Parts: sequence; structure tokens; C-alpha cells
Amino acid sequence: MKEINEQLSSLIDNESIESKSLDALINDKQQQAIFSRYQLIGDVMRNESALQIDISKQVMTELSEQPVLATLTPIETDDAIQNKPESNVIAFVKRFGQYAIAASVAGVVVMTSFITSQPTVENSGIEVLNTVPFGGGVSPVSLQASQKQSKQALQDRHERLEALLKDHQLQLQVQQ
Amino acid sequence: MNKVPRVRTILAGSLLFFIPFSMAVTDASKDEVAFVAQEQVTPSAIEYLQLMQNAYQTKNYEVIYLSSLQKQLEPMQLIHGVVDEQQVSYFRYLNGAIRESLQFAGEISYFEQGTPAYTLQSRHNRHVFANIAEFDYEKGLSNYDYVILGKGRIAGKQSIAIRMISKDEYRYSYVIWCDLNSLLPLRLDTVSPANVLLEQLMVVSLKISDHVNPWLIKLTENPRPEVVHIRQSETERKSQWKTNWLPPGFVVVKNDQHSLAMNENIPVSYMMLDDGIVNVSIYISTKKLALDEKQKLIRHGSTVLYTEQRGNFEVNVVGDVPVATAKRLVKSLVWIKNDN
Repeated sequence: MKEINEQLSSLIDNESIESKSLDALINDKQQQAIFSRYQLIGDVMRNESALQIDISKQVMTELSEQPVLATLTPIETDDAIQNKPESNVIAFVKRFGQYAIAASVAGVVVMTSFITSQPTVENSGIEVLNTVPFGGGVSPVSLQASQKQSKQALQDRHERLEALLKDHQLQLQVQQ
Repeated sequence: MNKVPRVRTILAGSLLFFIPFSMAVTDASKDEVAFVAQEQVTPSAIEYLQLMQNAYQTKNYEVIYLSSLQKQLEPMQLIHGVVDEQQVSYFRYLNGAIRESLQFAGEISYFEQGTPAYTLQSRHNRHVFANIAEFDYEKGLSNYDYVILGKGRIAGKQSIAIRMISKDEYRYSYVIWCDLNSLLPLRLDTVSPANVLLEQLMVVSLKISDHVNPWLIKLTENPRPEVVHIRQSETERKSQWKTNWLPPGFVVVKNDQHSLAMNENIPVSYMMLDDGIVNVSIYISTKKLALDEKQKLIRHGSTVLYTEQRGNFEVNVVGDVPVATAKRLVKSLVWIKNDN
């Protein structure tokens, strides 16, 4: 198990890997479950489209259950998702990773992430060695609540600021 | 008596004329750039910057660098190459969740641990140092002064520091360090008008090769994730606002009404300003939430998020500009009736 996981990471790091072990990896059902979480450049390179469809489905269903990494600002809290009226238009950030938005100024987006509680990291096939948020984690910049402001009002303000920052990043991306 | 000085003036004048011209020529050709770099003639500050630009776009290299912002360090890697005369760049975070991106041929693909990969259309290079490497320094002369600060050592390389000083208080200044040998950018400091260091990007390892990294070539040959088209705006309508003032050098590049990507229920009037180095977004929406005095201004590194409420409206300015710029922009906003 551990060994194969190591192979996975070496694959991602573009270290040479024998095609034999690669095949073994792909054919192994159990490993596939782990492998499918690595929706990474390697998948695309090997052009395993069937595998990709699997992953996206899996990811979609798992999305709401996934613990949120501190380095990535969650799209919405679970509560918000449940309370939200059904909508057939799926917003970009709900469907896709926020990496595009966070990539160029990761720290800025992270700025508002302190509204989320500490992540409960559970081992989902990825060897998590470090449960402390990485560099670019929660930043000291934060909103200060004044006495008269309710917790809800503060949270609303956070969400608003987060939405603005993300929209700004997205607008930068799709600049023509 | 008078003749000699006059001849000298003419000579000096013609020399001044020649230097920029000869640089323009060398700029166009890669081989000559290398030649100039080795020659004893010392380029001026702007010439160094243009040589840096050329090196960034045409060389094959791999850098590992650190981004330092509010006492946080983030290590990242960039691999750049030219494949079939097209720039290819691959970027990744080295710590934490795996986040990678690949940019070439007007598209950028994102790969993130745990979510489906996708591609966006993007004309602009969004990777490290790209803003300074794609800036029109000639044009920038109206807003910046370029001054050679001196020499130093970055990532084990002899390098030269050039300061890009803003002529007004409405933008940040920068210190750009370039490798004297390859002329690639090695360090970028963003400095506030009050001379405070806001952000720093610093290369710690630089590898240059004559040939493109074979892995990059392989990446360009394989199919990329599906392109996601972002809806630009719901309506063709322009925003109902305009600014009576723009910081010098900035132009409006976007003007529309859309809903925020995060929350479809918030329609905003939107404007984006661009000066070639940074972008500023202005959002105008109906006032819905109370605003506490302490929340008016949020700063993170060089990025500012300034909020002001005016009557029934809330204005938010987001971008890498000093607070003074954001405040003045908000003041200059006027409502216009725009029914087209």
C-alpha cells in the first residue's frame, strides 16, 4: 500500500516509472480508488479519459463530504449548500476547483479563510503527514468585529469579501 | 571660438540618438542579446529591463522560488520553454495540496488535488514574473523612472538591481533583480509609496538549458482538459457608472454588469482597470450589509480591498494599488443613465 502510494507521488513528480508498474496500478481496482483522487497532470498525459470520467463523478459526489484543506478556501460551508435553493445553473466555482482563482494570489483568497474552522483531516488515500496548515494558510489579516456587530453580520461581511476577491481573480483569468 | 563646443554638442546628440536605436535592433534578435550581455558596454536601466523581458520569453529555464508575504513563505516552481515558437510554462506549488498549471497557446489548464482538471482561455501569462516580463517599459516611462541600484548576488548568481520608481503616489514601485549572465528575473520586490516592502518573490534555484525540457514538449502534445467558458456577463449592458478620474497610465479594460462568481444573487456593476502591471476591479452594488469602520480597508501584501458605502450603494475596489488610489477612484465614481 505504502509502496504504491509512493509510486503515485513519484509519478506526479515526473520521476521515471516503469510502465509495468503503471499498468499494475491502473488495473488494480483498489488502487484505482486512490489513484482517482490524483486528478493531476499525469492523468491527462496518459490520456485515460475513461478514468477521468470516473474521477469527476466521484469528486462531484464526494465534494460535499470532503474535508476542506486549510490552504484552499471552501466554496461554501455544508450548511450553506443544504440551505440553498436548487439551481440548475452551476456556478464556475461550485463546479470546479478554485485553483484558477487562487493561483496567482493564493494568499489573498486565503485571507478570508479563517471563517472556516480548522480542517479535520481524515486519511482519504492520501498520506497526510502534516496536519498543520501549510505556508499560505490562514493569514493574520482578518476582520475585526466591533462590539455592536453580531456574529452573523460579520460572517456575511466575510462571505461578501471572499466573493469579491474570487470574482476579481476570475476576472483576471478571463481577461481578453 | 564657438565652433568646438557646438561640434561636441552635435556629437553627443547623435550618440544619444544612436544608443536606443541600436538597442532596439539587438532586442529583436536572440543571438545579439547574448552578444550585448557579454560586451563591455553597460546597458542602461531600461535596456536591462528589456533584455530581461526578452530572456524571460525566449529562454528555456527552470526556477524554484519563494513568495514571501506577511511573514509567510510559499515555495513554487516554474518551468518555461519555447516549443514550436510558442511559450510553454508549467507551474506548481511545492508544499501542501498539489496545485499545478500549464499555459500555452492562449489557454491555461489547472490541475488540483481532489477536483476535476479544467482549462480556461487566457491570453495573459499568469505565471510568476509575467507581469514585469510583459510590460511595455518604453510606454511605462511616463509613469515610472528606471534606476540601476547596484549589483548583488541572488540564487548564487551575480545580479543587478533595477528600481522602477513610480512618478506618483497612485501605484507601487518595484525593485527587479536580474541575473547578469542570463538576464532572467531573479527577485521582485513590491514597495509601497511609503517605502515599505509589501511582497517579495525570490528565486532560489535557476537552471537554464539550451533545449526545451522534454517533459514540456510531451505536455503540449497531449490533449488538455476540457475548456470551461466563463460567462462574461449576463447582459450586454455596460455598467451604469463611470469614473471621472483614472490613475495616470490606467485604462478601463472591462465594463459590464454581472453576478459574482461565488454568489449568483449579487448583481454588480463592474469595471476593470489595467496599467500593464496590475489590475484593479471596481464593484458597485446595492447596499445590503452594514459596514463597520474597521472593515473598510483590508490589506494583504500589496493587495487592497477597500469598501465604501454611499447612499444606497456599496463600492468595493480590489487590486494591487495603494489605498489612496482606491479612495480616489471611489470618490470619482458617478452614476450615469445607461440604457443601451
